[in-house]
Amino acid sequence: MQVLPPPPPAVTAPAPDRSASTVDEVRVAAALTDARVMVDSGFRGASIVLYGAVFNPSDTPADVVVVVRGPDAPVRLVKKTRNMGVWLNSRPVLFEGAPGFYMTASTRPLGDIAEFGQLRRLGVGLDHLRINAPEESRTVTRYGVKDVVVSRLGEDYLDWRRAVIRLREAAALYNGDPDGVEFVDEGLFRAEVELPTVAPTGKYFAEVWLFQEGEPVSVSNLTLTVEKVGLERDIYEFAHRRPWSYGILCVVLAAFTGWGASRVFRRE
Amino acid sequence: MDIYLPIAEVSVNWPLLVLLGAAVGFVSGLFGIGGGFLMAPILIFLGIPPSVAVASQASHVVASSTSGVISYAGQKAIDFRIGAVMAGGGILGALLGVELFRYLRLLGQADLAVALSYLLFLGAIGVLMLYESLGQILRRVRGEVTPHKERRRPLWLYGLPLRMRFPRSGLYISAIPPFALGTFAGVLSAIMGVGGGFILVPAMLYILRMKAGVVVGTSLFQIIVTTAMTTILQAGRNQTVDIVLSTILLLGGVVGAQYGARLSGRFRAEELRAVLGLIVLLVGIQMGLELFVRPSELFALAPGAVD
Repeated sequence: MQVLPPPPPAVTAPAPDRSASTVDEVRVAAALTDARVMVDSGFRGASIVLYGAVFNPSDTPADVVVVVRGPDAPVRLVKKTRNMGVWLNSRPVLFEGAPGFYMTASTRPLGDIAEFGQLRRLGVGLDHLRINAPEESRTVTRYGVKDVVVSRLGEDYLDWRRAVIRLREAAALYNGDPDGVEFVDEGLFRAEVELPTVAPTGKYFAEVWLFQEGEPVSVSNLTLTVEKVGLERDIYEFAHRRPWSYGILCVVLAAFTGWGASRVFRRE
Repeated sequence: MDIYLPIAEVSVNWPLLVLLGAAVGFVSGLFGIGGGFLMAPILIFLGIPPSVAVASQASHVVASSTSGVISYAGQKAIDFRIGAVMAGGGILGALLGVELFRYLRLLGQADLAVALSYLLFLGAIGVLMLYESLGQILRRVRGEVTPHKERRRPLWLYGLPLRMRFPRSGLYISAIPPFALGTFAGVLSAIMGVGGGFILVPAMLYILRMKAGVVVGTSLFQIIVTTAMTTILQAGRNQTVDIVLSTILLLGGVVGAQYGARLSGRFRAEELRAVLGLIVLLVGIQMGLELFVRPSELFALAPGAVD
């Protein structure tokens, strides 16, 4: 079941514009308080602080946007529909890849920082999250526009997409906080990354974007690893590598406990 | 006081789970049942994924049935011969049931299968038990004599081949009906995570007409074999057995079961059956209700994406 962490999402952002005449370039640098999150028996989620500095010699105000993505995994979604008075599940729809964790934190609402097209291109914001279209999709020319993605979901596609985001938001896996980036001092900012207990294990990618007048001017990339450690990892790996021996062990343990209990209670 | 479950990948309050295990164990000891049908809905309610809940509690049923079987074996109240035939059916049923459950999960219809099985089987059994036990209580209150039931098996039981002698049960019948009964219980154990005692016991009493004294012990023996098989298959095929979860449930469960069993002697059998019938019926209705009530969230994530 454990899949290898997928490669980082292709961020097709252009290199930040740096004109040759600018000596003091606008830059952002960032780091995480903890680049490894260990999941053990006491794991109840984790809170990691991302902090950084903005070098902004110009007079133009800059906005910071932090994006953290968890490992991609396929998502299967069903919709309940009413058939003859009974609520039944539809056939599941497979979304090829959606990040297992996604959060944005910014200094202002994303819509005020950059234009729709820019955010969509960078894949920044829950509305612009890249969730690959369902498997049955095909591209056609419609209303003179080429490459329109249609699937058997048809017009409902947006509903399904929104449902993925809504369900993940409810599980605290997706989150967009418009005031998540807090400036503690001139040029010094911090943002909190809250990982819930259900956060998937694997490699996480954090991007810290610096926007000026709606344009990305600098980006800093960080990685974060969430992994099971100790007994938890041993059990998980045992259950997945040697599933049959694990099952037999479970049964033996259960039978032994039952036998032990009956011995203890008979003596009393 | 929270503990992270490595397979379910959620964190739960472990004292609450121990108490839950003890409460279900108490009920199972009191009524002489596995208690699986109570455990699965509560675990799901606590936020444990249904597939993990159903698979992990099967091993809880193994433990509570083991301590039951040991005490019944001491009283020589188990017919191992017919139990072996039924267990053979149970193994076949577990194989079929786990594959069926896997297929339904991929179709996204596992919820429906679980809800429907609970509604149909628990609903029907609950109504029957209530009807029968309330009738008996009413007759006792009115001072009427319980009409003597005809101890006659359905005639078709005699027409089948492969007849075997089961001296302890007082039977000389074909091996096919007990085998089929075991298979059916095996399928249920995979889909509902239950031992199937609530189906087995009435069927053994009223259809096979086994001697009443050996019915419960023999059914527990069959349940151990079936649920052990289910646990191994769920672990091997679906990797959904959480050993930490089942161990926590066991700790409370075995203790609760012993106290339940001690207390059961203080009540009349038909009163116990009436209460159990009511519980069974309520759980069945509760699980089936989701089929008829408009859900607050129309979409749901289906498991099995990574399979």
